[in-house]
Amino acid sequence: MAAANMKAVKLRIKSVQNTMQITKAMQLVAASKLRKARDRAQQSEPYYKILKNTLTDIASGNNDFTSPYTKSGSNDKWLYVVIAGDRGLAGGYNANLFRYMEKETEGKDYTVLPIGNKSVDYFAHRNVPILTREFAEVGKVTISDCFEIAKLICEDYRNGEFGHVTMCFTNFISMLSQVPSGTAMLPLSDFVKEDVDPKANKNLILYEPDSESVFNAIVPEYLAGLLYSTINVSVASELAARSNAMKAATDNAEDMISTLSLNYNRARQASITQEITEIVGGAETNDA
Amino acid sequence: MAATFHLQVVSMDGLEYDGTVQRITLRSIDGDVAILARHMNYCTAIGMGTAKVILEDGSERSAACIGGMLSMMNDECRVISTTWEWKEDIDVERAQSAKARAEERLKDQQLDKEARVRAEAKLYRALVRLGTAGKQQ
Repeated sequence: MAAANMKAVKLRIKSVQNTMQITKAMQLVAASKLRKARDRAQQSEPYYKILKNTLTDIASGNNDFTSPYTKSGSNDKWLYVVIAGDRGLAGGYNANLFRYMEKETEGKDYTVLPIGNKSVDYFAHRNVPILTREFAEVGKVTISDCFEIAKLICEDYRNGEFGHVTMCFTNFISMLSQVPSGTAMLPLSDFVKEDVDPKANKNLILYEPDSESVFNAIVPEYLAGLLYSTINVSVASELAARSNAMKAATDNAEDMISTLSLNYNRARQASITQEITEIVGGAETNDA
Repeated sequence: MAATFHLQVVSMDGLEYDGTVQRITLRSIDGDVAILARHMNYCTAIGMGTAKVILEDGSERSAACIGGMLSMMNDECRVISTTWEWKEDIDVERAQSAKARAEERLKDQQLDKEARVRAEAKLYRALVRLGTAGKQQ
């Protein structure tokens, strides 16, 4: 019995070792990609921050509603741009984002524009209406794709297909914490709801040539900018989540291997002891 | 000494400038504008052109500035531009080859409308870069 048990343990060790090799490789790959992704995310961070501050300032001071982009939602249809990963094995990265989405969209009439394979799969599986699947691979989205997405969103928004456009992504707080969050995209009045400051006085702003043409010119661009920077942040979050998950998996595998080796050695020891007892026992009967 | 104000310039490549300046001139969709200190709250969309910034010490820097918006709120000026390349950072060779490529594409009469618009935009961008770098023939 001992020999069979030993063999089983040995096989198990081997299989855990193989898994560990894979998780270790994935961890290393994610960690090395992460460095680049973090640089990119950090680069676009000021753009995102200043853009958002400026738009919040403008939206809170705005009392001009000639442009369709500034009016508060004409109907109650929502468009969610959901930025998830292309692949799994990233810990809770995708699951957390989708859980956040569930909570956000509860009771709303919504359509999604998924970015990232996982996001496409998830909403297709749930029969949620999907605007386009063209941008399924988050790893391949470029600046010009962002402009295309922005144009698409603007067109549909202006045609009254949606009253609100919101984006869900995963914010990179630190290596150890990535939090799913959302940000308003359209209309501009949605920005004000986010951080209500009752004391903010309505500033008078001069628009040149006029507010409508200013907004019509800047909105597609700011959407593209917003998209690009949040995609960068999300990619960094995904890689950090994957690197952490794979590190945990590798550590776990190491623990398992050490426990299994202990069991293996114990079984080996037991079988040797048994053999000796048998030999000694046999010799004694011979002597008698 | 001329009055100064705080200017922040960001592009998709990051924070390009953050500091005190005397003046910024750039091309909006409606023509050239210059912003001085204590300008009223103002917002415009940026067109394509060369932007000039007069720094606190009176020296001048120029940059290719394309797309985005300029906002002046309570003496804080923010330029959020799609492209902002300082004159010294412009890759002239790349712009020249982009210009040649775009011109080549535009010669094609069968080009559909969208491709034409895209090629024209590329050409303008290349021309702005070359103009800013002072290498335009």
